[in-house]
Amino acid sequence: MTSPLEARSLSLVREGNTVLDDVSFTVAQGEIFALLGGNGAGKSSTLLTFLGFLEPSGGDILVNGTSVGSDVALARSAIAYLPEAAALYGHMTAYENLDYFLDLADKLASQAEIDAALERVALLVEARSRRLQSYSKGMRQKTAIALALLRETPILLLDEPTSGLDPIAIDEFHDLVKALAEGGQTILMVTHDVYGACQVADRVGLLRRGKLVGSFAAENNKRINTEAVHAAFAEREAV
Amino acid sequence: MTAITRIAREEWRLWLRSKTVVAAALIVVALLTATSVLTVHRIASEQSQRLEQQVAAEQTFFAQPDRHPHRMVHYGHYAFRPPPPLAMFEPGVDAVTGQSIFLEGHRQNTAMFADTKAAADLGGFAALTPAGLYQLLLPLLLIVLGHALFLRERESGTLAVMLAQGQSGVKLALGKATALLVVIAIFMIPLIAVAAYSVSLGESALAAFSLVGGYFAYLCIWGAIVLTASVILKQRAVSLGVLIFIWLFAALIVPRFAINASSVAIDAPGKIESDLVMLAEQRKLGDGHNAADPAFQRLQDQVLKQYDVETIEELPINWRGVVASYSEAELTELLNDYTEKRMGLEASQSRMFEWFGLASPTISVSSLSRALAGTDLATHHRFLRESEVLRFDFVQSLNQAHAEKLDYTTDINRNNDAASAQRARINSASWQVLDEFRFAPDSASKRLGRTALSLGILIMWLLLACVIVLLTARRVRV
Ligand SMILES: Nc1ncnc2c1ncn2[C@@H]1O[C@H](COP(=O)(O)OP(=O)(O)OP(=O)(O)O)[C@@H](O)[C@H]1O
Ligand SMILES: [Mg+2]
Repeated sequence: MTSPLEARSLSLVREGNTVLDDVSFTVAQGEIFALLGGNGAGKSSTLLTFLGFLEPSGGDILVNGTSVGSDVALARSAIAYLPEAAALYGHMTAYENLDYFLDLADKLASQAEIDAALERVALLVEARSRRLQSYSKGMRQKTAIALALLRETPILLLDEPTSGLDPIAIDEFHDLVKALAEGGQTILMVTHDVYGACQVADRVGLLRRGKLVGSFAAENNKRINTEAVHAAFAEREAV
Repeated sequence: MTAITRIAREEWRLWLRSKTVVAAALIVVALLTATSVLTVHRIASEQSQRLEQQVAAEQTFFAQPDRHPHRMVHYGHYAFRPPPPLAMFEPGVDAVTGQSIFLEGHRQNTAMFADTKAAADLGGFAALTPAGLYQLLLPLLLIVLGHALFLRERESGTLAVMLAQGQSGVKLALGKATALLVVIAIFMIPLIAVAAYSVSLGESALAAFSLVGGYFAYLCIWGAIVLTASVILKQRAVSLGVLIFIWLFAALIVPRFAINASSVAIDAPGKIESDLVMLAEQRKLGDGHNAADPAFQRLQDQVLKQYDVETIEELPINWRGVVASYSEAELTELLNDYTEKRMGLEASQSRMFEWFGLASPTISVSSLSRALAGTDLATHHRFLRESEVLRFDFVQSLNQAHAEKLDYTTDINRNNDAASAQRARINSASWQVLDEFRFAPDSASKRLGRTALSLGILIMWLLLACVIVLLTARRVRV
């Protein structure tokens, strides 16, 4: 069976700098894969490559077994993407933002479905008809997450989804992601939260200066060993 | 609703929610309306005024008492060029060429009543015309509205989100283009209103709405330029700066340069200069007032032979009238030679100016605009030619009356005493030789034909601009 997401010896050069170097991994259907790494390690770049926004300079990147380069539209239609900074329109309300972007995605969603999604991310009812320029960072993040949910795509690419969320919202978000994976959605998320990643992910990959330097999987239905990941993470300065 | 119209609609939502944009739009609409109303008013009054003046001039001429016919030749007449209906949008060259001309014997006068002097009195500022606003101000407004059209999405990160929803760069660009197109369509409303009004005044609908089409194409070219800059460039300030520079270049610098270059490359002598050269040649032709001028010896031999008589006194016609008529014809031929040469050079200058449209669509649209409105140089030249025909006809008709209705002996003795002068007159019924003169614009198809070069260049610009937008939008990067 082909994996929904696969990086094959992926290399990437951005403005002359090697950002990714021979990175290979796959994410199976219904799996949650968390990509950890320091600032500038290449996490966000990896997601952008899956979306076809960046072209690999070596190797290949596949979505549902098809090379992204050969059919960008196909890849994008299978993926819901949560960007690093919740990029939505400040001059529009949450409802208007969702309505607009879902329309662009050719995705029909009823008012009830939209409210249900906003409920799942716990965005206050009274805030939903307010323009986003009056939102806090976390509220904006919640709206962006709701958009990714509403797309109902088989694959989710989430770039630091918990950034800006309060502790309770983070816990709720983790439950939400697990439920989505159980429903069959494939999730690749990028995060700085080692503890959270180990709690929610089936597998954790450690990216350091463009190289995948470690991979940790949950064994025997147990959580990933947070201490081991932490230790591996801490090694970075030793190079 | 398709993605393209949706993107356009959301752009509009943003504009409407931004107070500065709404304020800017209102100011422009107010300015456009005020200028249009003022110009419409001015042209309407000029039009009726000139027609009245034309009729009055004819009536005054007809009302002259019995006189010596040559006094009527110098009494003269006026030809007026009323502004065509579309002059209320595009006064064109009328402001500098003058719209009336004094017609008299042995002379081709310059057109008068130009507004240039009035403009000079105001410090050299030309009047703000609706056409000027369309050519200069509206592109600027498109720049203000659209310089960040695309790059704003990139700056805020929403471009990635839009593309991630499966939309192609081309579709996004088309959506933004549609939003801008609606702006342009709204800008066109005052012009459409003026065009419709001019049609109600008798202007051809073809000409009026070709003018609308020309300006629409012109603004679309600017829209495409603005959109391209916002797709390619990464920062608002840079985009705004680059676009303002392009605007300065295309709308202000190139047209000024083109005028200078055309007049340097094709050296047309001024009216006064050529008049001086002509005066020298004119002397060789002889003075038509002096029938004894040796220059007319050959004519005399010929006429005497024709009537089979020995002396001019024996002629059945007035020899002085014959000389006046002959010398008027000779002189007019010479004058026309010079005038045609000068007008030919001026026409080449304006042709060369038109070719500068390749460097600036503003030049093309202004040439097109003047030609369609009937306020271009070609129309002015036609006015000069037609008024010259009018002049020549009435002068020669009076000379003919001089030759046929006034006895030669009575004529040469007219200065002896008051009674002789009284006798050397002809009946005022002879003044009816004056043709009625009503200057009318060219047919619409003729005017349209004159726009061929400018229209071609404008269409080339439009196609080029659209292709560049699509090409750049295809490779848009987040
Ligand atoms: N727009 C860009 N143009 C050129 N190089 C870039 C660009 N964005 C990022 N890079 C470079 O690519 C490398 C990887 O950046 P990336 O954003 O993928 O890191 P990251 O792991 O997501 O970091 P962070 O945790 O800070 O988000 C960095 O060295 C960065 O300098
Ligand atoms: Mg990142």
